[in-house]
Amino acid sequence: MATPGKVPILDRAMRVATGIVAGGALVAMLAIFVFLLRDSWPSIQYNGGHFLTGITWNIGNLYGNSMSSHNGVQAPAGATYGILPFILGTLLSSLIAVVLAVPLAVGIGLLLVEYLPRRLGDSLSFIVEMLAGIPSVVIGLWGLAVLIPWIGRDFGPWLQAVLGFIPIFRGPVGSGQGLLASGLVLAVMITPIIAATTRDVLRQTPRETKEGALGLGLTRWEMIRAVSLPWSASGIFGAVILGLGRALGETMAVLMVSGSAVNYLPQNIFSPIGTMAATIVSQLDSAMTDPTGMAVHALAEIALVLFVMSVVVNVPARILLSSAVRRGGDAQ
Amino acid sequence: MSQAKIKVENLSLWYGAAQGLKDVSVEIGEHAVTAIIGPSGCGKSSFLRTLNRMNDHVPGTRLTGRVLLDGEDIYARGQDPARLRKRVGMVFQRPNPFPMTIYQNIAYGPRVHGQRGEARLREIVEQSLRRAALWDEVRDKLQKSAFELSGGQQQRLCIARALAVEPEVLLMDEPASALDPVATSKIEELIVNLKESYTLIVVTHNMQQAGRISDRTAFFLSGELIEFGPTRDIFTRPRDRRTEDYVTGRFG
Repeated sequence: MATPGKVPILDRAMRVATGIVAGGALVAMLAIFVFLLRDSWPSIQYNGGHFLTGITWNIGNLYGNSMSSHNGVQAPAGATYGILPFILGTLLSSLIAVVLAVPLAVGIGLLLVEYLPRRLGDSLSFIVEMLAGIPSVVIGLWGLAVLIPWIGRDFGPWLQAVLGFIPIFRGPVGSGQGLLASGLVLAVMITPIIAATTRDVLRQTPRETKEGALGLGLTRWEMIRAVSLPWSASGIFGAVILGLGRALGETMAVLMVSGSAVNYLPQNIFSPIGTMAATIVSQLDSAMTDPTGMAVHALAEIALVLFVMSVVVNVPARILLSSAVRRGGDAQ
Repeated sequence: MSQAKIKVENLSLWYGAAQGLKDVSVEIGEHAVTAIIGPSGCGKSSFLRTLNRMNDHVPGTRLTGRVLLDGEDIYARGQDPARLRKRVGMVFQRPNPFPMTIYQNIAYGPRVHGQRGEARLREIVEQSLRRAALWDEVRDKLQKSAFELSGGQQQRLCIARALAVEPEVLLMDEPASALDPVATSKIEELIVNLKESYTLIVVTHNMQQAGRISDRTAFFLSGELIEFGPTRDIFTRPRDRRTEDYVTGRFG
């Protein structure tokens, strides 16, 4: 039986429960950070700052008995752990992905919200959301089977011929694996994510304000420039950063098309690369055979760097997005 | 009555299967204030929005009949709605400034319509704000966001914005319904002053307001134009029983 006193109690219980769940997310994040820090601690001691600036990744001679020691921790002889090529590979492939994806995704968002009839826009939205949900290994396989031969045979030579006067478009195309293929695969993956979020943000533009622009005799495109885009700018920016976060951390698809380069700084857009996430996977097997465990600690440190990078990228994006949505809600 | 600026002939409007306007015919005089009154859902806003083709953007809208602006059918093939709306401006029920500065809110329209010189734009901004009786209140904060203004100021900003593209007709959809009494009386005063240069058509919920500001009044009920005539006649000796019931407050 419901008595008046019961509702507040339930209310409070609900508040406590949701508080625990919400707080749990934060605790989980902190826990991941602490675990990563603990696992990578020997590597941090062994490598110091050289970890981020070194360009050589060599897990050393695993079959000899000689050890090299540094700051009181031991690693196999000859071991050096420098991840600058992986950092660059990650950043550059994500940058290419964002540069390609943003105009396309914003265009799709505008098309869905402003240009298509409501029903057609809704069904296309559904397809965009489905695209966002395709497992990355499927896209990676597509990249391997379709994209790479195409880059190697047609697109790469064409780019060289047309844009070859710019240094980064010079150099051997090779098999087609590498920076360009990684960027394209990532662009395919993040375009639907950015487009779907952009669509949601654009929908928040108050109808009254849009009608105000039309009422002045502005065309639809002029209205979009005057009202919809300024209104949605911070939200779209947030969407882009979310997409960037996704690209930085993507593993499987990139692993399949990047060329898995080690000890090699990317020279041009066709260079084989390794990204941080993909390297953790590709190097894990051999790292497990290191009797000192240092190679695994070094991989953990890559994970730590990637984790910090993701947090730095995602937190401002989430804040921007939620404030954009809130402002849209206020103006309704 | 002065010369007809807008002539509406046998206008009917449907939203999907629902009929919003039924065979409306009316002539609206130049340099006058025409009020449109009637209960909620009577079609008065729909009617107003047919005059600048704002209903084009509502999916499922269908329309028969003709709307002539200076003798030209605005729904004829080849008519550009954007060019029409430059001539027939609109002020909305709730203030809807653009997310920009006060200055940019006014300058945006003229600039899009081809006005480039910054000195000339400054002139237009000042002149429009003066006409909208807002200049003295905002002259020192033209570079502030329009959202920092009060509701009444925002509505006058929207009127100034509409005036800046030099329309011939100004449509106002309950322009004071979201405002307090002081702001409302400012808007009403403004409307009366503007009729010297513009043709104004004002939808209002408020019959006293219609009485104060308008020269002629149209009474709508269930999508039909019941009665149209000089405002004084509509309020003091209506010809139709339904008009009388409405203006005397028996329903609505």
